[in-house]
Amino acid sequence: MSYRSANGGLGVLKYLPLIWAALRRKPVRTTFTFLSVTVAFTLFGLMIGLGATMDLVEKKAHPDRVWTISRFDQNSIPVTMARQIAKLPGVKDASIMSYVQGYVGDPKNRSGLIMLDDAYGRIFSDWPPTPAQWDMVRHDRRAIIMSRKLATQFHKKVGDTFTLISETPRADGGKAWEFRIATIGEDAPELSGGYIIGNYDYYDKSLPLADQGKMNEVDLQVADPAQAAAIAQQIEKLFANSGNPVQSTPENVIAASNYGGADINAIARKIALAGLAMILFLTASVIAKSVRERLAEFATLKTLGFSDTGVTVLVMAEAALPCLAGAVCGVVIAALLSQILPGILPPNFAIPMPTFSLEVLAWAMLSACGVALASTVLPILRLRRLDIAAALSGRT
Amino acid sequence: MNILRQIFAVTGIGLRSLPQRLWESLVIVVGTGCVVSVLLSMLSIIEGMHRAAARVGDPHNAIVVQRNIIFENASNIPRSAAGIIANAPGIAKAKDGSSISDAVLIAYVPALLRKNGIKSNITLRSFGAKGAMLQQDFHLVAGRMFQPGKHELIAGAVANSQFTGVGLGDKVILPDGEWPIVGIFNTGGLLDGALIGDTGTLMPAIRHKSFNSVLVRLDSPAAFASFRAALTTNPSLSVDVMRMSDWLAKGSAGFNAYFHAVVYGVAAILGLGALFGCFNSMYTAVESRSREIATLRALGYRGFPIALSVLLEGAVLSIAGALIGAGVSWALYDGVMSGFGSDVFFLAVTPPMVAIGLAWAIALAVLGGVLPSLQAARGAVSEALRAK
Repeated sequence: MSYRSANGGLGVLKYLPLIWAALRRKPVRTTFTFLSVTVAFTLFGLMIGLGATMDLVEKKAHPDRVWTISRFDQNSIPVTMARQIAKLPGVKDASIMSYVQGYVGDPKNRSGLIMLDDAYGRIFSDWPPTPAQWDMVRHDRRAIIMSRKLATQFHKKVGDTFTLISETPRADGGKAWEFRIATIGEDAPELSGGYIIGNYDYYDKSLPLADQGKMNEVDLQVADPAQAAAIAQQIEKLFANSGNPVQSTPENVIAASNYGGADINAIARKIALAGLAMILFLTASVIAKSVRERLAEFATLKTLGFSDTGVTVLVMAEAALPCLAGAVCGVVIAALLSQILPGILPPNFAIPMPTFSLEVLAWAMLSACGVALASTVLPILRLRRLDIAAALSGRT
Repeated sequence: MNILRQIFAVTGIGLRSLPQRLWESLVIVVGTGCVVSVLLSMLSIIEGMHRAAARVGDPHNAIVVQRNIIFENASNIPRSAAGIIANAPGIAKAKDGSSISDAVLIAYVPALLRKNGIKSNITLRSFGAKGAMLQQDFHLVAGRMFQPGKHELIAGAVANSQFTGVGLGDKVILPDGEWPIVGIFNTGGLLDGALIGDTGTLMPAIRHKSFNSVLVRLDSPAAFASFRAALTTNPSLSVDVMRMSDWLAKGSAGFNAYFHAVVYGVAAILGLGALFGCFNSMYTAVESRSREIATLRALGYRGFPIALSVLLEGAVLSIAGALIGAGVSWALYDGVMSGFGSDVFFLAVTPPMVAIGLAWAIALAVLGGVLPSLQAARGAVSEALRAK
């Protein structure tokens, strides 16, 4: 009793040398437990980070933006439709967009550009290009903004010519679309494939006369996000009986239906859980063995006046320390990996890179505590029921 | 004493003492179990897609699309070209002497996914007169076939389980009105998630001016070369000609390569974690048996059988884990319907995949067991005998 009252205020600190000694008793065991936990949390970090990217893309989607495309034909909406839409009540701005698809050098190197008008930069002001970069495309008809990822893929730098061979027929009969790289844009998780942005007017005027004045997509901004769904419906109705029926969808709805509606988050969580299950058994076995081997030691501690709670804390800390250290190291490694991987993987890798935040780390720490707690339940129960006299004489 | 008998004897002693080392043994079983079940569960997606595509990839069938196009929906085949393609050499003939070819339209109809209510697209394809003849195992399971000229559609057997509003009797809204679903078809392949309508009726309704592709049935798989040559050397056409199987493989090649990389990447990381755990357990096992092992060596047992028996023990445990892991992923995922949009397929856990899982498990056990087994075979006998 006197021991407890004298040292109670020091809390867990007084246990540190004891915990340290326990961990150092079998250095190989501790090291490999730590390594295994670290690896499991590297995977955990990558998976939860991937989920965070998915959430981020959905969260970053602007509910006030509505994407409108042709319902049945890919490139048939007349540009006049953008002006009609812009005049609808509640619509702030509407832009014109077409894409050119083709290949660079070898037919296997598929690529494509989005050709935009001025309004696009205003509506998508959250995209990586800066106002100065948008201006470059506006003022130079052949200029393009290329994302860093694609610039690396195609080994291009500012000032280089970029030639896309496309089946989209040009007025001059050729198939080569030539552009000049005016600037390199930053990448963003929601544009995981990279992007090349060009001037719509240049594109339109390069087409044969009969094909001019058409676009692939109208993206518009509404004044009140709450009205986005209603306005999207209104647009669909407006053109339902025209020669060009359209499909109009708010951006947040589109973001939610990425990957064909496949729930990547759920898959990622299951994989992370498998990793946790694996280390749960490992930590449980290690801590159970460690406690079994040191029953006499624990009996001594109890004799000295350590309470059941004190012993519980001691065992839990012994399990938690490598778990928490492994969780932190694992998440850090995962974060580093997600920085390094884009440079190693093929540039058009279809799966987005995980993002890391304190939230991911918090989940890792929480899970590590959970694993430590769960793995110590049995040994702790055993210690609470410990027959001190028997343990001291080595009879257990 | 014969080495083989020594191996059996030592391994037997080790295995019999496993219950005393229950937790350490479970670490190996659960570790490999997790690795194998994650590996097989993810591979089951690839296998499922592969099987669904293989059903459509009849070697007698070929597809003609616009040159340098990856996706059928982006391809344009003008009416005039479709006529030339239908008359090319090498195409099988129907009883009436007409060639078995079908110009196909593809469009997408917005529909809500049943599982989460998210707006997605259901694929709408078209059949001409020969459409059904080109789809292996095509048959109606309910209702009737659509009538050309009437605004009617038929739906794939699993479309209704993926999307809302595409069951028998439901009406699908197209530009010029409501098209009732009058029949349900089944092919057992990728097509089963789609809607099908009559080409001639659909073309003006969805305002397509050209076809997306032309499917043909060849006289024989060997007729492909001449069929292809006839079309690709025709200066009035700008088309790619592919065997159906190659076309499907090409379409999913990019995805498959990435997905394979992700699957094996994830399994490798998880495997590394399991490896450390396995090492830990084997090391502990050797340690706790050090006196017993030293006794055996004092009795004249050689180092090699002892080391091998340690490896074998690890292998037995990890194989057990792999089988459990394979069982779990089979129970959870084999035959489960999955899909990306309209491309519906069934996840499959197959014996070759289980073999891959076993190979991983054995590799894990060997890599994790080498050092502990050497330790068991080497260490000083006298010291180990005196140890507590």
